Amino acid sequence: MSILNRLRLTAHLDDAGLTAIWTDTAATGVRPPHAHLESCPVCRGRFAELASWMETLRLDATTEADESFPPERLAIQHAQIFRRLEAAERPARVIAFPRFAQPLTSRTSHASRWIAAAAAAGLIVGVGVGQLMDLRHSLSRATVESRGTPTTMAAQRLDPRLSPVNVTRDEAFLSELDASLSRAAVPELRALDAFTPRASDLSR
Amino acid sequence: MTGAQAAGFSGREADSSAASAVKALQAEGRHAEARERYAELVGRHQRRASRIAFHYMRDVAEADEAVQDAFVKAYSHLSSFREELPFEVWFTRILINGCLDRIKARTRRERWIAPMPDGPAGERDFAERVAGNDPSPEDQLLARERRERLARALARLPERQRSVFMLSHYEGCTSREVSVVTGLNESTVRVHLFRAIRKLRTLLGEGHAAETKVEKRRVHS
Repeated sequence: MSILNRLRLTAHLDDAGLTAIWTDTAATGVRPPHAHLESCPVCRGRFAELASWMETLRLDATTEADESFPPERLAIQHAQIFRRLEAAERPARVIAFPRFAQPLTSRTSHASRWIAAAAAAGLIVGVGVGQLMDLRHSLSRATVESRGTPTTMAAQRLDPRLSPVNVTRDEAFLSELDASLSRAAVPELRALDAFTPRASDLSR
Repeated sequence: MTGAQAAGFSGREADSSAASAVKALQAEGRHAEARERYAELVGRHQRRASRIAFHYMRDVAEADEAVQDAFVKAYSHLSSFREELPFEVWFTRILINGCLDRIKARTRRERWIAPMPDGPAGERDFAERVAGNDPSPEDQLLARERRERLARALARLPERQRSVFMLSHYEGCTSREVSVVTGLNESTVRVHLFRAIRKLRTLLGEGHAAETKVEKRRVHS
């Protein structure tokens, strides 16, 4: 046996060497034959220590996982899996929504929005037209007032609460009425006409 | 052949026949029967699946959802399952991919949303455990600390090393099975497992040494 081989056999295995042997054992399930490990009790002891440390790790991890998943939890999980499988296999159901189930609120709000808009537009137009009419009325009144008789002006000056009276227009109207009556040739109305006082009589 | 290996082999045969039967029933449109038969597979793999998902997610609710999703997905894609591959391996692949997707989504979420502080539920849970007649509170606390340290160390491993370590060591998969699940070479699987163990020994050794130092300081003071 060469010196190198003898040295190899007598030198103790380091941590990496022991780990390599353990890895091979774990990979194949059978511990590979190792001459030094078989002959050296120190290395065998260290290998046993490594194997026990690894076993502690495995036990710790397995225990923790098993404690986290007790049989009750596994039963619930089992039931849940099959509920999901059943749900996945059931053909998709198309729910036909009835007409009234369509968003009624949105339709109502759509119509009411139009009504509100129309009402608002009507109000605006009404107010506008009203304002215009008022403006025209006040303009024409102002024109008439500016042409008003001294009597009316004086009366207004005396009592401002009195409404302005258009005397010229009234007189014109009465005289027009007289004229038409004088021209009236309806025999049935003549008797009635005789009783009716004349505007000219009143003015006197 | 050992007893466990023989059990595994017969389990795989049973899985294979159950999966084929479910596939056939699905094709015939007998869905209720297919689901009934699928329940066998779910029952056989549920605990193991929950364990793997929990190791990845470190959160019971999320692990639960990941397992449910994986079983539902496996059922709906059973037509693409090839019989030459064990159902266990095919399903584990689906599960792990789902868990990794969830971890990615969670990382994105945590980047933007601040985590909620622990409520009184955790305290109550702890009090209930302490009041039980299981191991002493001190033992429980120590075990919990040890598990947390291990989880932190595992979280620091690269994704591939972590997957290989969990499947090989926690689930007892051979390097060939791990290679099929992860899509890596068998030799690469061994290298990842070796590196994972070396790194874990360093990380957990450092943690242990630091704790011992603190303990010694306390004793001296």
